[in-house]
Amino acid sequence: MPSLDIAAESRIEAAPMKKTSLLHRGSLALTALLLALAGIPFFYLFQRASGASGSEISALLFREKTLSIFFNTFSLIFLVSLGAVLIGAGFATLLYAVKITRSALFLLLATLPLAIPSYVFTYSWIAIFPWFRGIWAAALVLTFSTMPYIFLATYAALRRVDLVQIEVARSLGFNRLEVFTKIVLPQIRGAIGASLLLVILYVLSDFGAVSLLGVDTFTRTIQNLYKASFDRQSAAILGLILMFIAATIILIEERVHKKNIASNSSVRVQSSASLITKPMAKLASLSLIVIYSFLALALPAYVLTTRMIANFQEIDYPALASATFNTLLVSTFGAIIAIAFALPLSWTIIATRSRFALFTEKVVLITHALPGVVLGLSLVAFGSKISWLYQSVGLLSFAYALLFLAKAVGNTRASMEKIPPILKEVSLTLGVSPLSTFRKITLPLAAPGIWVGFLLVLLTAMKELPATLMLRPTGFETLAVEIWSASTLSQFNQAAPYAFTLIALAAIPTFILSRPDRIQQESNHVEKERWRE
Amino acid sequence: MLKRSIIPVLAFALLASAGCSPNTGGNTEDSLENVSELTIYSGRSEAFIAPFFAEFEAESGIKLNIRYGDSAELAAQILEEGSNSPADLFLSQDAGALGAVAEANLLIELPGDLTSTLPARFLSPTDQWVGITGRARVFAYNPEQVSQLPKSFQDFTRSEYKGRFGIAPTNSSFQAFITALRDNIGEVKAERWLRGIVANSPRYYEKNSMIVEAIDKGDIDLGLTNHYYIFEVAKALGRDISVKDGFFAQGDLGNMINVSGAGVLASSKKASAANSLISFLLRRDTQEKFVANTKEYSLLEGVAGPEGLPDLEQIGAPTVDLDALKDLKWTQDLLIKVGLL
Repeated sequence: MPSLDIAAESRIEAAPMKKTSLLHRGSLALTALLLALAGIPFFYLFQRASGASGSEISALLFREKTLSIFFNTFSLIFLVSLGAVLIGAGFATLLYAVKITRSALFLLLATLPLAIPSYVFTYSWIAIFPWFRGIWAAALVLTFSTMPYIFLATYAALRRVDLVQIEVARSLGFNRLEVFTKIVLPQIRGAIGASLLLVILYVLSDFGAVSLLGVDTFTRTIQNLYKASFDRQSAAILGLILMFIAATIILIEERVHKKNIASNSSVRVQSSASLITKPMAKLASLSLIVIYSFLALALPAYVLTTRMIANFQEIDYPALASATFNTLLVSTFGAIIAIAFALPLSWTIIATRSRFALFTEKVVLITHALPGVVLGLSLVAFGSKISWLYQSVGLLSFAYALLFLAKAVGNTRASMEKIPPILKEVSLTLGVSPLSTFRKITLPLAAPGIWVGFLLVLLTAMKELPATLMLRPTGFETLAVEIWSASTLSQFNQAAPYAFTLIALAAIPTFILSRPDRIQQESNHVEKERWRE
Repeated sequence: MLKRSIIPVLAFALLASAGCSPNTGGNTEDSLENVSELTIYSGRSEAFIAPFFAEFEAESGIKLNIRYGDSAELAAQILEEGSNSPADLFLSQDAGALGAVAEANLLIELPGDLTSTLPARFLSPTDQWVGITGRARVFAYNPEQVSQLPKSFQDFTRSEYKGRFGIAPTNSSFQAFITALRDNIGEVKAERWLRGIVANSPRYYEKNSMIVEAIDKGDIDLGLTNHYYIFEVAKALGRDISVKDGFFAQGDLGNMINVSGAGVLASSKKASAANSLISFLLRRDTQEKFVANTKEYSLLEGVAGPEGLPDLEQIGAPTVDLDALKDLKWTQDLLIKVGLL
């Protein structure tokens, strides 16, 4: 594969990049700033836990309960990983293999559960099935709400699979299964692994589903310890353990990932390989997706609608409007800040491969696994000393950026890595400054990935609750806060209009995410415009 | 060109600096006339308390910035904020959270005209907080399913209730009860009781309201909860429910009264305005509205109980030191030890 050779050669040439350039120094400085800021929660946890005596720690850790917390947490990780990969990668493969006219609709159906907060989802299921409790229930809810991440990543990777390879394999007599396992799978494994990592980290940090379903994971136990005592030491100790678990998982993923680097072919993207052509097989594949979307979408919609009708109360439109505006405002700022950090971090990693940048990336990933309440309290402890910053829209947006930066970094970095270094080299040799090269070459070419990262952070920030409760400006209510305050009163009917609005709002970025063709086309368009300049 | 590529950087700088901070610019003059705004941290939910706040705003002309949250989490937040807290007044669902904040010396001593309104058992011993409303511990039950009613909280460890009842161990009202238990019968007996409960296979719920809902659905027959949840759930469901409140024998610890209460932050520069809000909440007409609207008990003498329930004096409530409820450390350790946290 010639493209690979060029890439390898030019990478060697690209290495001694001018270290004095503004781009280089700026990125390094921003990465350093990010590391310092991302260190706040960890510093906080160490500080709070440091007062603990050995006997207190052993009383907390060496008990039966610890065993069940570990068991629950890891069972949940295992079940959700299995479920989300099977369903997510399965659906992506089906949609890739089946040639249908309405593929956009099915893409949307499979992606849309992203718009539903896990607590709304859980509540809907409990409302219909009172026995819906425990670890299997939690695994189901979390599988449904995380599956779209794997689905989107797998689908995007499938579209980059070289169709020529498939044709060659078929002509050599490979059957469909062999084509899939020998040709396709190796090329999408990396994407599945990376998205699975985010899913696992999310499962570690989820509070909504596990608390409503009574599953004691690390995050639920930490949250309950905070609620139970105003001494925050035990919670901090468990927070540190959670941190180490996340770090271990990240390191394991890295090991696996290294063995897994698939070749990047520069073929045009293909939305379908037409591997499944029989009408019956087509029908079966598509009905699976329809069944899934019924369980994941129609059910919550039904519960919310009936709850709203059954006990219809006057909707407070001004409150609804301001909560909607606030949600949009603060989540957009959060996504902008996340991208503002993801860009220099990704650039520094790619350009320098420095340990410092790679370490920062890992800290960002670990932060993704932290419960919102831990990040919230750490920023309370830090922020309350700075009165103009404390409980401001700025600090809340920053909290979102920190919590969900992991979602942006992965996509930004991956899309930058795909840019053939030769393009940058040519630009630099022509005397264009590194900063202009970054702006004219890197940014436009990486735009789709950056855009996806932006949308993912935006979407997740809209649904965030624990950190929002602590860090929002006083009197500044978001949709998630309004849902929370109504459901603490078992008055979910009052929460219904807010829940509907939140889902509708979150459906917008979800809709865009479900249309990879459009994202790609727009970027191609931008690309052409750039080259014309 | 340079300008355009550092847009994200500028955006962040702008964001960080332009964040609106509504809590700055506190009025340094501590007199009622000069105060135009107060910041309240409210552990009481908006649906319950907002009408009362609105009435105070209309009466006093003082605007309230209200931060709603969970009482314990707000207490944790105030403890983290320390002397930098933007809050003027902390309104809590239970005495324990107030006691913890008082113990850290973050609340002022309230003036005598406020503390003299109430019986001493509903006050902080150091006058740092006052009770606002009373909430009785009860057992909620389905009258069609339970023929033999428990006479004491101790009865819940008996085999006839095995697997039939619900508790909410992560909820602060349950934990306050455990703390009161230790304070009254000692650590050993309190632990024995809790272990007896765990051994009697209760169902665990996140919230008290979920216990009442579960009884109504027929999942369980009884549950340990607070008295007003049956009203709340019936209102939320928009229909009558087959759940009633039951009280234990006279003087049984299971009938304990906890209070929602309020304290004024030591870091506040608007103490007298905050005091005037407490004074408003303790006024007889306001208290009567609490009883009628939120179905809680008034702590003032001579105000009748919620409709359909006995008056406060007739409950047969035990004497409980509400200040002791702040010491949740032991309770938490016990709950951890028996595996409920």
